[in-house]
Amino acid sequence: MPSNRILTMSRAISEAIAQEMRGDPNVFVMGEDIAKYGGIFGATADLLDEFGEERVRDTPISETAFIGAGVGAAMSGMRPIVELMFVDFFGVCMDAIYNMAAKNNYFSGGNCTVPMVIMTATGGGYSDAGQHSQTLHATFAHLPGLKVVAPSNAYDAKGLMISAIRDNSPVFFMFHKGLQGLAWMASPEAAVTEVPDDAYAVPFGKAKVVRQGKDVTIVTISMMVHRAVEAAEALAKEGIEAEVIDLRTLVPLDRETVFNSVAKTGRLLVVDEDYKSFGLTAEIIASVVENDASVLKAKPRRIAFPDIPIPYSRPMEQFALPNAEKIATAVHEMLGKGSKKAA
Amino acid sequence: MTPSKDQLLWMYGTMAKARYYEDTMAAVYMEGKTPKFDIGAGTVPGEMHLAAGQEPCAAGVCIHLKPEDTVTATHRPHHIAIAKGVDLKKMTAEIFGKETGLGGGRGGHMHLFDPKVNFGCSGIIAEGTGPAVGAGLAAQMRKTGAVAVSYFGEGAANQGAFHEALNLAALWKLPVIFVIEDNAWAISVPKDKATAVADNSVRAAGYNMPGVHIADNDTLKIFEVAGAAVERARAGGGPTLIEIATYRYYGHFQGDPEVYRPKDEVASLKAKDPIERLRKQMIDGGQVSKAEADAALAAAKAEVDGAIAFARESAYPAPEEALQHVFAA
Amino acid sequence: MADVAVPEGLWDTQKVPEGIVANWFCRDGGTVEAGATVAELMVEKTTYEIAAPAAGRLHILVPKDGVVRPGTILGRIEEA
Repeated sequence: MPSNRILTMSRAISEAIAQEMRGDPNVFVMGEDIAKYGGIFGATADLLDEFGEERVRDTPISETAFIGAGVGAAMSGMRPIVELMFVDFFGVCMDAIYNMAAKNNYFSGGNCTVPMVIMTATGGGYSDAGQHSQTLHATFAHLPGLKVVAPSNAYDAKGLMISAIRDNSPVFFMFHKGLQGLAWMASPEAAVTEVPDDAYAVPFGKAKVVRQGKDVTIVTISMMVHRAVEAAEALAKEGIEAEVIDLRTLVPLDRETVFNSVAKTGRLLVVDEDYKSFGLTAEIIASVVENDASVLKAKPRRIAFPDIPIPYSRPMEQFALPNAEKIATAVHEMLGKGSKKAA
Repeated sequence: MTPSKDQLLWMYGTMAKARYYEDTMAAVYMEGKTPKFDIGAGTVPGEMHLAAGQEPCAAGVCIHLKPEDTVTATHRPHHIAIAKGVDLKKMTAEIFGKETGLGGGRGGHMHLFDPKVNFGCSGIIAEGTGPAVGAGLAAQMRKTGAVAVSYFGEGAANQGAFHEALNLAALWKLPVIFVIEDNAWAISVPKDKATAVADNSVRAAGYNMPGVHIADNDTLKIFEVAGAAVERARAGGGPTLIEIATYRYYGHFQGDPEVYRPKDEVASLKAKDPIERLRKQMIDGGQVSKAEADAALAAAKAEVDGAIAFARESAYPAPEEALQHVFAA
Repeated sequence: MADVAVPEGLWDTQKVPEGIVANWFCRDGGTVEAGATVAELMVEKTTYEIAAPAAGRLHILVPKDGVVRPGTILGRIEEA
């Protein structure tokens, strides 16, 4: 029976965690302000009431210690979910993430698994400035040994979190703050979706074609899925049909879906909120060109945050962020319908 | 707490095994690296950090541990791995980069993992403290009675990870024992040029846990202090910090010219070698006979020789094996 | 019909006169279970959950971002 129940992404995440915690006593959560507060971005709401302090633990401000502890607990057979409050804070604990969590399975030839989830808040657009607004998809996708996941909506968030908890590899779960549906931060309507009651899993490595179209392929993830859909709806009014692909997971990356789409449309536009150079947009374009450059009818394009620290002042931040208008303009240019100046 | 005869023999044999291992490894490491020392060449390429002189830190603590107890160690791990009961053949094969190694050759000497005895080590200074805290947390949550021991050097005690781990272990009253192997040198920098306190055990007070400093590489003292700490941890009494003033006979790494070290320092340390000291103590004390001690030594050497032979005979992994085991099944 | 109402006295209106509907957790016209959290209010920085008083079909009266006070009827449930 289809559910009428709609959830915000934050509630979908906390529900996923609760359902897995009910089913498996080895699952527990720790991080800063995740107990009584329910997580600064709502990802652990109501867990303390149901599961108590043993399994829902506030930590001191000691990322190196508690993420390192997550590694150790996971290697001892537990399934910890550890919250890194803002992805921007990775600087103080990156060793535990990329040198230990990501590599211990490999170093041990598969003998020692690290089944932990590190979940973290990403994204800007609300004037939180350079150290609290980053997206950093590439930083984590680039380093081997971590699975990297970034949902764009509540349905996917619950299913991806369940998959993450059940995965025997370390999973870096990146949720955009502006998609959580928090009362105090604007969030797209489409991020709130129907969410089935049962504990379902969304597989990794399977992109979703959110909107079909024949004229251009727009590949993106997380918040930018909503900007792309907004642009596609505006373009549709002019008779331009854009296909929007939500990657959902960066590692593993579903390149096949992208290749199939570009073979159909011949035009590729990649949109990412992360910094432009050396990142996701480059990876998708390089993959498509390597696979078969002959399908392209136009130069591939990308829209990403420029290579600048994220500015505080609203007009500057909004100038830098990708948005529906920039996406639509780029599509026009790719179709030869407008200014030839680079975005 | 005084050790029994079996315990004395175990500690002596384990330390002798570790010493012979390190001395043998020193020679093996140089195969293919003479006359020109090319770090990437020879039987055992890469870096090599040997712990000859530090054996009491391993034996005196690990004697109190069971396979279910977790140990995290550092870039200088061999003596601790041996004392923890890591499979010596697989460990040696791993150091040689062979397919029969603990990680199939993927980790090497600084990244040895043996889940059967819950031993792991890492090359980033102080970073093993966090996982030890996590193992202690798992033991507490599951009520297994297991403990975790984190080994690191006196230089590591100045890294943020150390301080965070101590606070967290004390806050949550976790069964973790933090063991500082103070071998006086953090590569080339002596302790008094790096650490604001002369004795790291005083830092324990800042984290509301007991701290003990053991002077002069004293195996029996280590046995006593570690025994009490492990018992305390198992009983739910929380963590302990132990600092052991120990000796590093070799350089920081093999190939280290040791320009920073006073010329006669190593010789003067060797003059009070802890393994010889224990041997003398236990024989003079009548607890162990010379024949028994010699038998333990011979058995230790034979095991090491066997492990080296196994490593030499084992095959290298197929190159494409590099692509395997990035993710878990 | 059962009222989905903001409980009287839920917050001190002297300090904060109004709140808003932050989220609905069921679509207009959808069915809800009795006791399920059906909406979330935001009053300054505090969130309050509103439970469905009965099972049935939800009719939303105050949409998301709409203003509420204690006693406001946010919606009605047409009982099955």
